[in-house]
Amino acid sequence: MAKGKKAPEKILRQVPFCPGCGHGIIVRLVMECIEELGYNDNVLIGKPVGCASLLDNNLAVDTFTGAHGRNGASMTTIKRLKPDMLVVSYQGDGDCYNIGFSETMNAAYRNEKFTVIAVNNGNFGMTGGQMAWTSMPGQKTSTSVNGRNVELSGMPIRVPEMIAHSFDTAYVARGALFTPAEINKTKSYIKKAMQAQIDGVGHSLVEVLSPCPTNWGLTPLASMERIVNELVPYFPLGEIKNKGGK
Amino acid sequence: MKEIVFAGFGGQGVLTAGLVLSQVALFSGKKATWMPSYGPAMRGGTANCTVKYSDSRIYSPGQEAPDVIMALNIPSFNKFINMVKPGGVMLIDSDIVTCDTSVRSDVKVVKIPGTTIANELKNPKALNIIMLGAMVKLMGDFSEKEAIDGMNDMFGKKGKNKYEEANTAAFKKGFASV
Amino acid sequence: MGDMVKGNIAMGEAAIRAGMHIYCGYPITPSSEVMEYLSWRAQEAGRQFIQAANEGEAMYMVYGAASVGSRVLTASSGLGISLKQEGVTYMAAADYPAVMINVCRYGDGLGSLESGQTDYKRETRGGGNGDYRNIVLSPSTVQEAVDLVYLAFDLSEKYRNIVVILTEGALGQMMEDCEYPPVKEVPFYDWAFDGKYTHGPYPSQMAVDLHAKGMKNNEKRALITENEQRWEAVGVEDAEYVLFAYGIPGRVVLGIVDELRKKGEKVGIIRPISLWPFPQKAFDSINKNVKGFISIETADSGQMLEDVALYAKKKGFGNVPCYFISSPPGVPKSKYVLENFEAIKAGKVKEVF
Ligand SMILES: Cc1ncc(C[n+]2csc(CCOP(=O)(O)OP(=O)(O)O)c2C)c(N)n1
Ligand code: SF4
Ligand SMILES: [Mg+2]
Repeated sequence: MAKGKKAPEKILRQVPFCPGCGHGIIVRLVMECIEELGYNDNVLIGKPVGCASLLDNNLAVDTFTGAHGRNGASMTTIKRLKPDMLVVSYQGDGDCYNIGFSETMNAAYRNEKFTVIAVNNGNFGMTGGQMAWTSMPGQKTSTSVNGRNVELSGMPIRVPEMIAHSFDTAYVARGALFTPAEINKTKSYIKKAMQAQIDGVGHSLVEVLSPCPTNWGLTPLASMERIVNELVPYFPLGEIKNKGGK
Repeated sequence: MKEIVFAGFGGQGVLTAGLVLSQVALFSGKKATWMPSYGPAMRGGTANCTVKYSDSRIYSPGQEAPDVIMALNIPSFNKFINMVKPGGVMLIDSDIVTCDTSVRSDVKVVKIPGTTIANELKNPKALNIIMLGAMVKLMGDFSEKEAIDGMNDMFGKKGKNKYEEANTAAFKKGFASV
Repeated sequence: MGDMVKGNIAMGEAAIRAGMHIYCGYPITPSSEVMEYLSWRAQEAGRQFIQAANEGEAMYMVYGAASVGSRVLTASSGLGISLKQEGVTYMAAADYPAVMINVCRYGDGLGSLESGQTDYKRETRGGGNGDYRNIVLSPSTVQEAVDLVYLAFDLSEKYRNIVVILTEGALGQMMEDCEYPPVKEVPFYDWAFDGKYTHGPYPSQMAVDLHAKGMKNNEKRALITENEQRWEAVGVEDAEYVLFAYGIPGRVVLGIVDELRKKGEKVGIIRPISLWPFPQKAFDSINKNVKGFISIETADSGQMLEDVALYAKKKGFGNVPCYFISSPPGVPKSKYVLENFEAIKAGKVKEVF
């Protein structure tokens, strides 16, 4: 996070996530990008159902209350009807990849020109840490108490790669938050994703590996270490696709 | 109010023939409804529609007791012969409906060699219009001119004016055949 | 003179003329012609059209479209509308308007392709969780379908409520002449998202006092109930039996009543046009000595019959027996309805309520 920098004007107050939660940083990055791109007064954020449900009373921007997983559909019509508006769908991994898999993939398939920020914290944070499609093999969650058995539930899903390799979209990247450098890189991905939308190139998605200390049962620091050691090897960081601006 | 059923194989143009009659009725200031068979009723390749026209409000658009039925194949004849209202008319293409048609003594069966006429006109696709010409004559509710104008008006609006001459000829042949 | 037009196509054209900005849907018989028609007509008229991956997705598209203040339409049938229900209740929670056409097919589950009225309960009660009601309008002619679609967009906006056009396969598929109302150009509604945070955190579902909002919803529903009851009635003032039928059965039963009254029989009909709100005011002119109420529906069980019995009680007819005639899929046959009516009059049928 750009430390010491003034918080974006459209963040009314800090969103009350748990201490050490990645959501707070990601929301700040999103709001900084919107501000820096000059879209503070022409933006709509689609909020999901999940921990990020808390967004709308804390941000001074139009915030659409998405149905759980369905923002891919709702953002589609919003962007088509308001093509000049910057439309950002902020979603948890359960929202975006589990219940919303169909909507997420169909929007990417149609190359809808909005931006998805997908927060990969490897579980359903909001509802008490149940298994998500992103949970790691052997990961203990409240619906995989003995550790995720991939024989029965499949290997963790990598939606960004699926989209990048299957559909004709504009921009796909995966970032993380475990050092200031990674945070800055993630911010640059988010900004490029939004720019791809502004330039009308197409659909864009940035996944962010994000700590959930509360449900992981780890300290904030140990959570970051887990991301470096366990998640990054499976969820590689960087730009996966960049069609470039117009 | 008059109730007419048009029945035959899909592709014989029975739905269109029904639609033309309903449009002719509108054209001459009446009310009309057109109700197709669809879904399961269409299996086996047969299609039918029910047309009603009247000078006043039409309540049920569905099949109740048809005054006249046009049957362009044997399955349709068999399916509908018992539905015709007593004293009603069954109009068939005698080239196609070659089965025994003396099933009901209270129904008049009118036989038109529709396929032969169509072949004479070198226009096999016009069977439905030929039969419609015969139907209009049987009904006695519209003059030949009124009906032809109504028909051409309908096809004209669909951008199919180029068939006007052929349709008119077919209609006249059918009208004259009864 | 109008031309013969198919019900489904007439409703699509009526939506364009009512200022619809966007259509989102997924095909299903017998509603598909609505979207087939709009797939080219919307573009021609400078409006938008999206074929969604399924009905659920279509409804969330509707939800998004409504949030920016557009006039939005979806159409489906039977189980397709079932899939939409989560989206419908989200829209109710947000007070968003939209028009949803149900060209009803008969039956549970996959059901059939045949025409029916088996979705009355879901449409009038609201098929999703919570405590909302959709306004439900049901036409019995192609002309009425056109007029109700046109009206539906206005009511939907006036009350910020979903309006359902509940019609049947038979009406969607049949042709009749109709006159179209003029084409309206409607701007996007100004209460909606504009990207500028003009209306603050609206509609926030996290921070509201739910009970207070519920009480406001009750006020809205009371207003709709007062203002928006619609029906057609014939002969109820002296009727010994009042028949209730809507949609296609409505027009069939009107014909039966017309015929019976010509023979001097004292029988009347109430044809509800608004199913919610149910036209309870129609009871005010019914003969106080009426012997029975009979609901005729293309459904297995008496769905509307329950409303007839409820409002009969409310309007002081609590002791009048309520009978049901179940008409099989398709257009009811007058002969069938008459035979069943005779059986009821002869005391051979037990009342349901
Ligand atoms: C239709 C529906 N099913 C289930 C839920 C319950 N639910 C709320 S949030 C959530 C999971 C959210 O997880 P995720 O999207 O990963 O967000 P996180 O809280 O982890 O950021 C679930 C299952 C719901 N709100 N709606
Ligand atoms: S539960 Fe996890 S994801 Fe949710 S706010 Fe707390 S730390 Fe963040
Ligand atoms: Mg999560």
